Amino acid sequence: MTTERLRAPDRMARPPGAGDLRLIVRDQPMELAAHRRYYGPVPHLDSGSGELITEIERAGLTGRGGAAFSTGRKLRAVATANAGRGARVVVANGSESEPASSKDAVLLARSPHLVLDGIQLCADTVGASRGYLCLGSRSPVARSVREAIAERDRAGLGGLPIEVVDGAAHGYLAGQETALVSLLNGGRAVPAFVPPRPSDKGVRRQPTLVLNVETLAQVALIARYGAAWFRSIGADDAPGSALVTVTGAVRRPGVREIPLGTPLGEVLHRSGLDAPAQAVLAGGYFGTWLPLPDAFRVPLSVPGLRAAGATFGAGVLAVLPASSCGLAETARVAGYLASQIADQCGPCRNGMPALAEAMNWIAFGQPDADIIGWARQLTGLITGRGACHLPDGAAVLVKSALTVFSADLRAHAAAGPCGRAQAAATLPIPPRSHR
Amino acid sequence: MSQPAPQSAGSVREFELRVNPIACDAHGVCIALLPELITADPWGYPVIRPGPVPLRLLALARRAVADCPTLALLLTEPQQPDRSRARRQG
Amino acid sequence: MTGAVPTAIVVTSSTPLWYTTRATGLVALVLLTGSMGAGLLSSVRFEHRNWPRFVTLGLHRNLSLLALAFTVVHVLTTVLDSFVSIPLVDAVIPFIGSYRPFWLGLGAIAFDLMLALIVTSLARARLGLRSWRLVHWTAYACWPIAVVHGLGTGSDTSVRWVLALTAACVLVVVVLTLWRLALSWPQRPGWATAGVVLVVLAVVAGGAWLRAGPLAPNWGARSGTHSSQPRAASSTSAGASR
Repeated sequence: MTTERLRAPDRMARPPGAGDLRLIVRDQPMELAAHRRYYGPVPHLDSGSGELITEIERAGLTGRGGAAFSTGRKLRAVATANAGRGARVVVANGSESEPASSKDAVLLARSPHLVLDGIQLCADTVGASRGYLCLGSRSPVARSVREAIAERDRAGLGGLPIEVVDGAAHGYLAGQETALVSLLNGGRAVPAFVPPRPSDKGVRRQPTLVLNVETLAQVALIARYGAAWFRSIGADDAPGSALVTVTGAVRRPGVREIPLGTPLGEVLHRSGLDAPAQAVLAGGYFGTWLPLPDAFRVPLSVPGLRAAGATFGAGVLAVLPASSCGLAETARVAGYLASQIADQCGPCRNGMPALAEAMNWIAFGQPDADIIGWARQLTGLITGRGACHLPDGAAVLVKSALTVFSADLRAHAAAGPCGRAQAAATLPIPPRSHR
Repeated sequence: MSQPAPQSAGSVREFELRVNPIACDAHGVCIALLPELITADPWGYPVIRPGPVPLRLLALARRAVADCPTLALLLTEPQQPDRSRARRQG
Repeated sequence: MTGAVPTAIVVTSSTPLWYTTRATGLVALVLLTGSMGAGLLSSVRFEHRNWPRFVTLGLHRNLSLLALAFTVVHVLTTVLDSFVSIPLVDAVIPFIGSYRPFWLGLGAIAFDLMLALIVTSLARARLGLRSWRLVHWTAYACWPIAVVHGLGTGSDTSVRWVLALTAACVLVVVVLTLWRLALSWPQRPGWATAGVVLVVLAVVAGGAWLRAGPLAPNWGARSGTHSSQPRAASSTSAGASR
């Protein structure tokens, strides 16, 4: 083994050339040698000592997959499940089923070894003997990830056997925590009823740690440089950095790493926002519309967006130009989401298609007060009544659209669909594939 | 992770009704038995009034749980509300 | 009920027990039929403004328990009746007895199944739905076995009202079962057809057996009543007593 034992004060204070870029520092993929030169070796931990968990808790790291659950608490739950006895599993979630998001793919392409370090560190901490790295079906990074793992094996970094799982999970729900566990257990990638949580009973009924790949990369950084370093950027209530995907009506779309708490306007302007933009979809397809330019001041963080009535979600920022129709975009997304349901729960099975249909009327027809009222009623009917939060997300999206685009709503009700509904779609809708 | 809400010392144990939406098949037995707490949505699926089960209805609630043809109705300790409305992806 | 001609049937002190056995057997059959009917009614999701689902379910539960109670009494009086030697073990282990072993054994099977059905239902939450459902399917075997047991062991079979009562029970269950099968037709046409065929075959076969067996002469001897045991004087006469 070539990992060295590093403990404070020997630990490197910070990576070289830091600035605000921590996760993605090069334009090219970083192979193993360059990775070790830049970040330094992975600290060797006493497995079971819990020191990493304490450090993660002090850092205040939260999940970067969408739910923003406290990573330290999750680690602790898996580590202590079954009184610490028995095998555990670590699952790295890189399935990125959010169509407008590409941060996980970019992270895996450019800094795979950070993610793999994170998997190894978490496995040591919770006592896992097996790891999985789940990618979306036909993921373009599958091969490079497998090569990175092979590279580590050749360098003798050994350790946890990590199985790369791709090609099986497709669809919007594939990245959901319990759906992923179900898939790894040989079943369909559909959500399961909780309890039991994966941290109690997951893959092969063992306590399972499911973390987004970006979260794992952050773990690899905190293990090296500590909680204080992690908190040196970002906000007090939202420390550290995060990856966001900026897309839509900007000149320089793509994935950016930002300190949490950065105002939305700053990120959009850096991405080349010049065309008049009316709104931005924050979070993902289960996120919320925010009107522009009012929302420029909103800090990009979980608490910051929550205060603005939105969610950070998967860090998607999709800018809607003034030449498009927000209701039409929302209707298309609602239709997509309705096609992605697991078909297990009655309220969702019935409510989602009804909601999509109502949105279709609102966007492409001339809705009356009944249809609009029915759409609103549906959002209430489907919220909190499924096994997963797909219907909740759709409800949030539709409600925010009806609020933010209320002027369009009135116009549609008065005179039918606007010409902007025919504009090219801003939000990507994947082709319907058989799940 | 949802923890059961702390019960005050000396209080009677409180319970909440919960539906496993995957198991639920809209038989409607619980809706007929416990209309004070459970109503039907437009498609026949149960909508449960939030909050703990009143003591006087606890026996009926237990019967509804036992009578559910698919064992989808559950009596649980009160849960902390799940603050993250987003999909849990890690 | 008793024939005017004194026959080989000896009126002993066991007669009240013997009557109780027959009576509780019949009542248990009716209750079991009621339970079966309520169960089928529940499975077709029958509901009416004045008849909510939980009434059907409550009936099903109560009728099952009552049926069990009457079956237990039926078993006990049979065992206690010293006129024919039927030890307790014959009630749960089939086919080892000496009195009409096959037809009595069917009763033991039905009784065992009833116990399994009720015990698993009481522990349903702990057992889980799948295991419970697997056991509960045996209800479709339990009831017909009980009917055949009654027709085969009982010497009241040829009595007109007994026959009519049994026929009524069969009619109720057959109609409700066909209703249940009709409901599963859209989803599983193969299984539904098979079920209908099975029901029709069972009724036809049952009717044929009834005519050739208990309703034909000398059923007592043919069914395994030994020479030392009482036989009905004439099984075709309506006045025959068991």
